[in-house]
Amino acid sequence: MGATVLETIPASELKHVGKKTDRIDSKVKVTGQATYVSDMIVPGMLYARVKTSPHARARIVKIDTSKAEALTGVRAIVTGDELDYRLGLYVVDKAILAKGEVRHYGEAVAAVAADTLEIAQRAIELIDVEYEELEPVLHPMEALKEDAPLVHPKLGDYSYMEAAFTPKPGTNIANHTRLRKGDTEKAFEECEWVIERQYTNPSVQHVPMETHVAIVQWGHGDEITIWSSAQSPFTVRNLFCVAFGLSHQQVRVIVPYVGGGFGGKAGIGIEPLVAVLSRKAGGRPVKLTATREEEFSLLPCRSQLTYNIKTGVSKDGKIQAQELTMYWDAGAYADYAVNVTRASGYSAGGPYDIPNAKVDAYTIYTNKPYGTAYRGFGHVEFFWGLERHMDLIANAIGMEPFEFRLRNALRPGSTTLTGEKITAHTGNITACLKRAAEGIGYGTLSDAEGAREKRTGMKVGKAVVALHKAPAMPPFTATTVILKMNEDGTVVANLSLVDYGQGTYTSIQQIVAERLGFPADRIKVAWDSDTDRDPYDWQTVASKGLLLSGNAAILAAEDLLANAYDVASQALRANKVDLAHDADRIYVRHHPDSFVTFRQLAIGYAFPNGNAIGGPLVGVGRYIAQGLTHLNKETGQGLPAIDWTYGAHGLTVEVDQETGEYNVLKVVSVFDVGKVINPDEVRGQAIGGMLQGLGTAVCEGYIYDQKGHLLNPSFTDNKIPTALDLPLEVEAIAIETPQIDGPYGARGVGEHSMIGVAAALGNAIQRASGAELTHMPIRYEDVWRAIQKREPVDNWITKSPFGSCRSAPEIQKHDC
Amino acid sequence: MLHQFSYAAPTTMDALLSLLSEHGERAAVFSGGTDLLVGVRAGIARPSIVVDLKKIPELSELSFDEAEGLSIGACATVNDLVDHPAVGKHYSILAVAGAELATYQLRNRATVVGNIVTASPCGDMSSPLLCLGATVELRSVRGERTLALREFITGVKKTQIAPDEVVSRIIVPVDRIDAVGGYKKLKRIKGHDLGVVAVAMIRSGQTLRTAISSAAPTPVLLPDFPVDASVEAIQAKAQESISPIDDVRCTKEYRRFMVDVFIDRLLQEIRS
Amino acid sequence: MIRIQLTINGQQFEREVSEHKTLLHFLREDVGLTGTKEGCGAGECGACTIIMNGRSVNSCLVLAAEADGAVIETIEGVAVDGELSKLQQSFHDHHAVQCGFCTPGMIMSATDLLRRNPHPSREEIQHGIEGNFCRCTGYEQIIEAVAAVAATAAVAATKDGGDRA
Repeated sequence: MGATVLETIPASELKHVGKKTDRIDSKVKVTGQATYVSDMIVPGMLYARVKTSPHARARIVKIDTSKAEALTGVRAIVTGDELDYRLGLYVVDKAILAKGEVRHYGEAVAAVAADTLEIAQRAIELIDVEYEELEPVLHPMEALKEDAPLVHPKLGDYSYMEAAFTPKPGTNIANHTRLRKGDTEKAFEECEWVIERQYTNPSVQHVPMETHVAIVQWGHGDEITIWSSAQSPFTVRNLFCVAFGLSHQQVRVIVPYVGGGFGGKAGIGIEPLVAVLSRKAGGRPVKLTATREEEFSLLPCRSQLTYNIKTGVSKDGKIQAQELTMYWDAGAYADYAVNVTRASGYSAGGPYDIPNAKVDAYTIYTNKPYGTAYRGFGHVEFFWGLERHMDLIANAIGMEPFEFRLRNALRPGSTTLTGEKITAHTGNITACLKRAAEGIGYGTLSDAEGAREKRTGMKVGKAVVALHKAPAMPPFTATTVILKMNEDGTVVANLSLVDYGQGTYTSIQQIVAERLGFPADRIKVAWDSDTDRDPYDWQTVASKGLLLSGNAAILAAEDLLANAYDVASQALRANKVDLAHDADRIYVRHHPDSFVTFRQLAIGYAFPNGNAIGGPLVGVGRYIAQGLTHLNKETGQGLPAIDWTYGAHGLTVEVDQETGEYNVLKVVSVFDVGKVINPDEVRGQAIGGMLQGLGTAVCEGYIYDQKGHLLNPSFTDNKIPTALDLPLEVEAIAIETPQIDGPYGARGVGEHSMIGVAAALGNAIQRASGAELTHMPIRYEDVWRAIQKREPVDNWITKSPFGSCRSAPEIQKHDC
Repeated sequence: MLHQFSYAAPTTMDALLSLLSEHGERAAVFSGGTDLLVGVRAGIARPSIVVDLKKIPELSELSFDEAEGLSIGACATVNDLVDHPAVGKHYSILAVAGAELATYQLRNRATVVGNIVTASPCGDMSSPLLCLGATVELRSVRGERTLALREFITGVKKTQIAPDEVVSRIIVPVDRIDAVGGYKKLKRIKGHDLGVVAVAMIRSGQTLRTAISSAAPTPVLLPDFPVDASVEAIQAKAQESISPIDDVRCTKEYRRFMVDVFIDRLLQEIRS
Repeated sequence: MIRIQLTINGQQFEREVSEHKTLLHFLREDVGLTGTKEGCGAGECGACTIIMNGRSVNSCLVLAAEADGAVIETIEGVAVDGELSKLQQSFHDHHAVQCGFCTPGMIMSATDLLRRNPHPSREEIQHGIEGNFCRCTGYEQIIEAVAAVAATAAVAATKDGGDRA
């Protein structure tokens, strides 16, 4: 029988894991046959549209739906007044439809279900909403002022997850995460250098190609079925049941193919709104598909960050202390932003050894579309500042930036900010940095690059940055995989982790095939997830899927084999220890001709006389994160991380010194993934995430006017990278330092590729041109302004002095 | 999803013109639809009848003859233009600018005339056509008239088209078929984007002609300069003629700066 | 309503359709061909790309009414008799698919590109699929998939004078 989860198997003995293999979902996708919720029609289905707020903050004086009601074909209209439910993942602060007050531009105030989408749209246009505009609070630093209007005056009445979060009633602070390690005050005094600066980035949109869409039928007896383009069916079910006070057995969530998520579909979204429409329409199913514009403001985005970093460095170039203050702009509702704050807070120093640290991370309510999880979960945002700051420090103290990083990199024996001890198995950040540097020829210009400079007149710059991230999840995060053997000996795997493009299901197939010793094509990973039929998974987030579900898959395979061996032992009248198996049969080791086939065992073994034993073969694998703890709310100390994936990006850019335009020539991304399960999928995650990161670095970001109207809620003015925006050369490299408790040593890499790219670009641009940037995205005009030392501007229209600036560094040199 | 409208696809010019005469402002002329349907979807355009031009054969014509020049029918797409041998040979700046417009599949629908009639300050075809001295032919039941392109566009999304008129074609005269030049467009990404600011410049005979997009309510055509004019002189004239704004795409400061850069670079290219 | 006749993937269709219905919605809702996706409805993302009368177009900006008499090709018609086209197979082989939502439009654009230019350079491939957003893959594996077909087509062309892209 197989080895335990914890054993690392030499690659030479692996038949499936680490090998090139077909992706199991690509044929159904290249033929257009994969069915997404947006493609689905349920019999009797109505179509919904939403009336949204044109204001950032306003009192709803009156909603007149009479004209809409008179329209033939309108089957249900709902407004906030008639609904008394509140939703929230961590802080229960959101109504299904605005009640009394709208808190952000694009917020839903009314909704209609009608026979056709056109009628629903006409009805929406016929609903009159009278608003009394109120002064919005738009910037988190303004929101912290004592006289700032409160986005949630009743914050003190809301329930929240007390083990992890600390809202401050009477303020706009939805959460304050604290971390204290060592003695920063004392350390700063003893440091030769103390260097401080502020870094900022705006909100961005995930842009899944399939917008949010759900079909809900509120059936007789409050039996509810939800089809949703969602990442986490069990979380949708749980939060739905909590909001409506329903039993979990009354609600069924089905998730078919999902057209991308990136965190934007991690929690609950439009499902409750569609549900109340269905209920009001007498139980007819209702479908709501968000338009692309609604995706930007009705649905959540990534939070804006203002990050202050103060670092103390000793004479020998060693970081001694960091004071890290994060101001996360949650927008109008806390959603995942409070947990982004928490997860970023405990990772805030990066993969560096920092003996003394003080972190204060605030989640701040403002009157803007709300922030949620987004690939990287805060790390893309704060690594922008952190890795820019590492270059600032290196330059200030006269040390080569790459050497400065190596000097301070975490190594076995270091402790993280939360006090976790790094071991030889945690991963190798130094190796990542070195491979990335090697990949771009860091430190020199190749002949070709030199010739290119001459030809184009542009200047080439190179940079290498480090990154890390651990899954942000409750310490008791759990999952299950169930394997069922079919009559013919093939196997179906059921799990509720959702593969919305990452390729995890293919990896699960490989792992199950490996553990069972079966050919991969005998393992089917069933696609649609169904909370009534499939076993529990917490959420498809945090790059934890492969580790947790992979382990559960191994355990399920072992359980299936153990069950098969039990029956085979009786059928063969042999002790289990004497049995072995191949792809087709279980046999007695020393009498291989004495065997029983899996086909004979699949639904129960029948003796020649008809007596039968066993029964249909299943294997159950349950896995729950091990050894994690809540963090102490005062000191932030504890063990939050099941695994740390380290990585590095090397980036080469050329900059037009005159105009600030630039071209990214090469990106080499390196990740210590523990063990590559599927090389093509690792590469797909690495390059796909890198380009997504580059998009947010180059051009993406929400732009508001002074009243909080979102000015670029579409692809016209919120560009995302096209095929032409891919760097000239991209490379993805995996390093394998096995994770002791990872499946075959693997750890997650879904988010990491996006982290740090922006800072690599910023640093490389600075080396090429001298442009000193502290705000991303880095638009060509920003580079031009920075080169010209002109006044920076964030929002071209409002010229907001916040969240934007090329802040001046404070560099103190002490004599010590 | 679009609001309700009726659809007509006349097969003759006469039928088209009488439809437009009948419906006036309630009618929207439709060929590529790449602006109209986007506007309808956004609720900006609300025609009650959409009149498709594509069933009228003469409007799809794209032809060149040495007497009249290049005739671009209302339904000729940008890709038709880019791929036309005479365009590559005699009006290469049109092919260069056309290939900068949106994406390949959009250019399969977007028409050259539509790009002008939309009268967006950032249209890619207007500056090159202004440089080439294009004229616009308008038809209605009342008759036919021809306007210089520089007079045709009067403001942001505003032209001289009367409610009953249609632009039947654009004519690019032959007097500049020797033109050499280029089109430079500032974008926010490498892929498809609207022009944040753009400059077209040609040298024809002994004159230089420059036009600028996205820097004023309408595309701006500078007066002709002699071939040996100084770059500073052209830049000074350009700066005096444009009135860029701050918007979500860019500041006016950077637009002004990039206009100077593009003029400088285009001039260098033309002279080298 | 208006009556239209058209050919979709080699089959004849005759339908009554609302004048204001886009070809995209006609294909998805009236004909039931949901392989063609809607990503923005405004001609920016390319998820709705189909081939109409031999040209790739954003079907969200085409009216069904004007498709009277047209020959339409959608993703559902690309595989013939259960056999993937070379391009589809190459997408599969190169792991050029993640969430899959952009894939149909991407394949239609690339199919059109290879018809126009059977041996595109890397840069020509990038220009050919510029109008198709993919948020997952970072395009690299897609470009490789198209390039691989172009390379094999080059080999095939010397043998039998061409091949189905």
